[in-house]
Amino acid sequence: MSDVLENPKIEVPHAIDLTRKAGLGTGPVPVEPYVSPEFYERERKLVFGRAWLNLGRIEQLPKANSYFVKPVEACNAQVLVTRNADGEIKAFHNVCSHRGAAVALEECGVRNRFTCRYHGWTYRNDGELIGVTDPDMFFDLDKKQLGLTPIACDVWEGWIFVNFQKRPEVSLIEFLGDLGEVFRGIPYMNTHQALIIEANFNANWKLIADAFAEGYHVSSLHPNTLAPSFSSDKNKFARPVGGRAWGAHRSVSTFGNMDYVTPENSKVERLANMNNGAIVLAGDTGEQAQKLLAHRAINQAKSAHWSADLTWLFPNFNIDFSPGGFWTHEFWPTAYNKTRWIARIYMPTATSWRDRLAQEHYAARWGEVVLEDVSNCERIQIGLESGAKDHIILQDGEFMIRHSLETINKWVNAKTVKEALS
Amino acid sequence: MSEKLLPAGFEALEPFVAYWAQPTNDKRWDQRARAPMAEITAFYDAMYDRAEDAIAWLDENYPLGQEMPEDARNLSCLLLGLGQAAIAVEMHRQPRSPYSVFPHGIYMKSGPWPLG
Ligand code: FES
Ligand SMILES: [Fe+2]
Repeated sequence: MSDVLENPKIEVPHAIDLTRKAGLGTGPVPVEPYVSPEFYERERKLVFGRAWLNLGRIEQLPKANSYFVKPVEACNAQVLVTRNADGEIKAFHNVCSHRGAAVALEECGVRNRFTCRYHGWTYRNDGELIGVTDPDMFFDLDKKQLGLTPIACDVWEGWIFVNFQKRPEVSLIEFLGDLGEVFRGIPYMNTHQALIIEANFNANWKLIADAFAEGYHVSSLHPNTLAPSFSSDKNKFARPVGGRAWGAHRSVSTFGNMDYVTPENSKVERLANMNNGAIVLAGDTGEQAQKLLAHRAINQAKSAHWSADLTWLFPNFNIDFSPGGFWTHEFWPTAYNKTRWIARIYMPTATSWRDRLAQEHYAARWGEVVLEDVSNCERIQIGLESGAKDHIILQDGEFMIRHSLETINKWVNAKTVKEALS
Repeated sequence: MSEKLLPAGFEALEPFVAYWAQPTNDKRWDQRARAPMAEITAFYDAMYDRAEDAIAWLDENYPLGQEMPEDARNLSCLLLGLGQAAIAVEMHRQPRSPYSVFPHGIYMKSGPWPLG
């Protein structure tokens, strides 16, 4: 038994002291942020109510006058994101000025105006109120003052962010800091097609974010789906190959098993010409993928054993890169113990039926991974809510979790965003 | 013509059409997750044997994205169902991941094109 507890042989270079280098403590961390409704109320107000939040990519607004509606429960908001004929992107509360009905009723579409279904007031997609039905019946109506309520919105590298502060204390660029600079110019490939997996489950939003912040759990929780690709005898517990903090944000470079060979009995993977297991996560090996690898932000240690960069933007958004492309995670709290998680895995268009079979297999594997993590998080929530533990323990490879918790703690205690970011 | 379940030569797969020939990624996942292992294995064995032929037939007659009559569509959905069955047979040796919750609140909102 005792050999299980010993350090495994590590035969690859890996990163050390990520926690201290990120300026973090090393002690146990409190459970409270995961289980306390009061803490969640503070997060809603002081984190989600003040941080820049990612709502998607510009490709979700493919044409002039495209729009989408996105719920942000933490802020009690339905956000209507529009693109006008000039390509300008704006965000509004999806709330009619007359008596509060929703003006956009579909999740997405193409429209340059929105007519409220309650009494028919009409708004242009720049928010302006342009039509009132039976206006003579109203008293001193000033249409200019009655547009849709705007929400601060800005775009960085194709990513659409909003901020629920009436006048955001810091700009998106200030909020992103160095990361915003270093991650400029990354080629985002296959943006036209994403596998979208949505999961609604009973656990605090940070539990699932934490599950995508470290490779330590891969060999144990994902033994069939991910372990063969993301761990090996040379690095059994998937110690990271790099990582760092970026102000409020953080990234880690994960280990990949470069000796992976598709097992004999994985007959369908072989039939579908899949040679990389789960590593080429976004499923592309083309020229664009090479450009991505060469970018200075990607695999910063330029490790030969690299599989992916997990880039966690504060508070609840991941942009993750692998040799095959990129994917994102949105972790939206809907209650202190409920989460909606949306994964978007960008994929090339299949060019043959064999290819398409490979994509089905790849998507199916993702489905199982999501199921494994969700099942686990629901059990953790139950465990932590029991009160059995006041603290959890974190190792060096889990530094992103610690960084997330410390940053959230800073934000819920800071009077101003500037102070939280300092 | 239209009452043919599968293209000529693939008749042996007909018993699997009703359950396994599902039009979306999400439905194919759900069907696999709910099926008993013996049924998944039976489908996997039968479909794996004809997978190369199915790929060749589809690529030749209905390259990706072309409008398909029902028999071709059924065959393509069966082929993709094999990708799902493989997860159970080759990866987990059971219908779903060990210790996973079921039913669950996870769904494939949009799968890869086509038949996503
Ligand atoms: S609430 Fe919209 S028109 Fe009355
Ligand atoms: Fe996981």
